[in-house]
Amino acid sequence: MTQKPNNGRGSRDVDLGGRRAVAIIPAYNEADCIQRVIADLHGRAPWTDVLVVNDGSRDATSERAREAGARVIDLPVNLGIGGAVQTGYRYAWQEGYDLAFQFDGDGQHRASRLADLVGPILAGEADLVIGSRFLAGRGMTATGMRWVGIKILSAVISVALRRRVTDPTSGFRVAGRRAIQLFAREYPQDYPEPESLVLLHKQGLQVREVAATMRRRREGTSSIRPLHSVHYMSKVLLAVVMDLVKAPVRLEEETV
Amino acid sequence: MEGEARFFQWQHQVALVAAGAVLLGITLELIRKRRLREEYSVLWVVTAVAILVAGLYPVALEWVAKRLHLDPAILMTFLCVLFLMAILLHYSIVISKHSEREKGLAQEAALLRDELAKLREQVKELRKAPPEPKPKPPALRT
Repeated sequence: MTQKPNNGRGSRDVDLGGRRAVAIIPAYNEADCIQRVIADLHGRAPWTDVLVVNDGSRDATSERAREAGARVIDLPVNLGIGGAVQTGYRYAWQEGYDLAFQFDGDGQHRASRLADLVGPILAGEADLVIGSRFLAGRGMTATGMRWVGIKILSAVISVALRRRVTDPTSGFRVAGRRAIQLFAREYPQDYPEPESLVLLHKQGLQVREVAATMRRRREGTSSIRPLHSVHYMSKVLLAVVMDLVKAPVRLEEETV
Repeated sequence: MEGEARFFQWQHQVALVAAGAVLLGITLELIRKRRLREEYSVLWVVTAVAILVAGLYPVALEWVAKRLHLDPAILMTFLCVLFLMAILLHYSIVISKHSEREKGLAQEAALLRDELAKLREQVKELRKAPPEPKPKPPALRT
């Protein structure tokens, strides 16, 4: 790979070769953080458009995001993370974007790291690239039961995909055109991050990982709380096994 | 069946026929008033007819029970449970279908609203801009 080293602070010029990129930010009651997240993207990844999918927030998320200059799509009802992210993918597919990033609305992800993800897609090696917290062995790592849970899940997903995946629950990722098409059509509802990897694999699409550091998440906002880890993990594993036996989706060939 | 104790007394038969007829009547009435879609009524019509048949020809049920070496009462209970499970499964499928549709519609509504806002913006800008001179239509005859 020909990526220049990055200190993780400044913005970096990325040559997308004329391809258009959009960052999908699913947001539910994120009025406090959303402007900072959008400013981060505008400042450090100015080469990507920003789309906030407001998942029926009860606070001023939508207004704050518009003030910050993002394009905002307001869902009339709360669909949950899977439905919100899929709305973003439908938008990306309709608008003809070549790259669609997923980016958290709570400030966990770093806009300065977006450029690290695109390499394998531009090289045509992957349809989806995950920013993994565990590849570099530094930065934020999960602790306790959560770490065990992610390890087990990562083992199962790796076996299913026949390729090592260290961080299947990471929501820091980028999809290429084929993955955008698939996700616009079909996207898992319950545990979309790990489940979507199985879906991609079943459709014959390629998943790669690159190292990424993330900010420490604020207390209590993770969907994987330590006390619930065991319960969460058994449900995710069940969902993943179900995904493995589901019939594949039939997609139309894209006419260029 | 002569000499054996019959499972169904005539009172049972009357009760079953009445129950079947009432259920069939209610179902048909609901369909007539368009409060029940035909699609979802099939199971109910089938059940009502099954109860009617059981009431009119109890021998059939007794014959099946004998063949299966089951007490007719147990066979009836078993059939009831089976039927309820079928209804529940049917509803789970319907609910899944509807939630998938609802999700798609919500997404579509949100995307269309965005599209509408964008178009409104464009219309506003077009109104503000000075009108372009109309190109002259080409002469029809020369």
